[in-house]
Amino acid sequence: MYYAITVFLLAYAFIISERFNQTKVALVGAGLMVCLPVMDSPDVFYSEDNGIDWDVIFLMLGMMMIVSILRQTGVFEYVAIWAVKRANGSPMRIMMLLMVVMAFASAILPNVVSVLLIAPVTLLVCDALDINPVPLLMAEVFASNVGGAATLVGDPPNIIIGARKSLSFNAFLVNMAPIVVIVMLVLLAVTPLLFRGLSAVSAERVAAVMSLQESDAIRDRRLLVRCVVVMVVVLAGFIVSPAIHIAPSLVALLGAGILILTSRLEQSEYLSNVEWDTLLFMVGLFIMVGGLFKTGVIKMLGRLAAEFTGGNVLLTTMLILVISTLVSGFIDNVPYVATMTPIVGHLASTITGPHHHHVLWWSLALGGDLGGNLTAVGSSANIVMLGIAMRSGHPISFGEFTRKGIVITTISTALCAVYLWLRYFVLA
Amino acid sequence: MGCVRAEEIVEEFPVVNIDSPALDAVRLLAEHRLNGLVVVTNTSDTPYAILPASQVVRFIVPGYVQEDPGLAGVFTESMADQAAAKLGGKTIRDVLPKQRQYVPVVDADDTIIEVAELMARVRSPLVAVVKKRRLHGVITASRLLAAALKD
Repeated sequence: MYYAITVFLLAYAFIISERFNQTKVALVGAGLMVCLPVMDSPDVFYSEDNGIDWDVIFLMLGMMMIVSILRQTGVFEYVAIWAVKRANGSPMRIMMLLMVVMAFASAILPNVVSVLLIAPVTLLVCDALDINPVPLLMAEVFASNVGGAATLVGDPPNIIIGARKSLSFNAFLVNMAPIVVIVMLVLLAVTPLLFRGLSAVSAERVAAVMSLQESDAIRDRRLLVRCVVVMVVVLAGFIVSPAIHIAPSLVALLGAGILILTSRLEQSEYLSNVEWDTLLFMVGLFIMVGGLFKTGVIKMLGRLAAEFTGGNVLLTTMLILVISTLVSGFIDNVPYVATMTPIVGHLASTITGPHHHHVLWWSLALGGDLGGNLTAVGSSANIVMLGIAMRSGHPISFGEFTRKGIVITTISTALCAVYLWLRYFVLA
Repeated sequence: MGCVRAEEIVEEFPVVNIDSPALDAVRLLAEHRLNGLVVVTNTSDTPYAILPASQVVRFIVPGYVQEDPGLAGVFTESMADQAAAKLGGKTIRDVLPKQRQYVPVVDADDTIIEVAELMARVRSPLVAVVKKRRLHGVITASRLLAAALKD
């Protein structure tokens, strides 16, 4: 047990310090778990409790391949420009419409990809309008972190929770999407207060934006049609996956396979968005967390947590929400949720009665996803957005982001707490 | 062929300081129809960057189009016409990639096979030649091929 704890804590410290490549750290940690030996081959590859969660790995791989192909069409740039033109050149309306586009895109695509697609369009529009893009970029990444929480495939923590607890795409839609819509509406309402002072734009500049042709963003119409058909089938597959007994990971892989066959793209193109580094990082994490599980550390932590809350489900739910929000604001939510999943699993197993079914999982997902808005380093999407802003000559400081992030995260956490309490305790 | 050394086929090439205006660098390249530029800093005698013409052309491509090449098609004519004007006030340092790129450099007594191998590997039509750790000149792909055929 002590070997497993030492390896895990050291690896976690190295990951948080960001001085070393996190994938290498996770794989070295996993290697040590095998060599010490805390874990053996059957544990690593075949154990449902301790091993690598292949459902997570292959769902992410399938979605990454679909996104690689979808990106070649230019459809998201089309939607973003179309939305911008509906705003008639008003910077505030443009910001709000792009937030809505970003939230929708993030619900079906990884947040980082949504940022990579929408941020350049935002810079193009701001360049045409001659306005500062920083408020728009920040508002968009806040919307991305919120929108990603809505579905099983929107954010990696949801994929981990969904696979580990066998929560379906529909379960996420029914339990997470309502609160995400509420948080988004409130976020849109406070946006004019948070980002005051957007400069007025001359008629000439507005005309420049209105002359943008969204149809020019579409690079391959035939591919677009195929992608839309396959995406509809994949989303339908996610929804009916419990009924047809095909896991979402297989639905995503089948969708990716059909697109690869029909798109006739080169290997480098359909694998362009596959983040091998991230997949290997998760493999390493699963093995390290598996080591803690196998040696009884997770069970012990779960028992301690249960003793601390005294079996009070409401208190446990709120603690998970707040702690997850705070921790995810400072460290990557993927390792955090991967570690917390077995602990929450233990806590959930102690809950009796059907009404509070799964509430701890939604609490973990909401905290893990929305906590990303707390600071500039709270999520991968934030880091990517800050990089794009810096390269465009409009750097966003940690303080500037975090000041607004604290306000937004406080509001969203309060809304989530009220939602969880009302839905799973008062109205259950 | 093996006897020809890098310093024998070296050419003089325009050298620009990293903090000089980007627009001047573009103008220099356009007016003299050059293959590229050598960028240096005040603190080092070796080149900071070797920029083939195709990389200098990149200066006029807005950053967001470099992030998402599909947006090039969305650019209106008036926006495209202003692309070079947007370089006004920017230095070469501002428009170079933030992460420093590999600089293809050969030693003055390297053979042309060594030079050709480097050019092919890094896909650069020009490489810098240094002698005693100082910039000696540049070898272009066309000059290298001419030397190879001559032998």
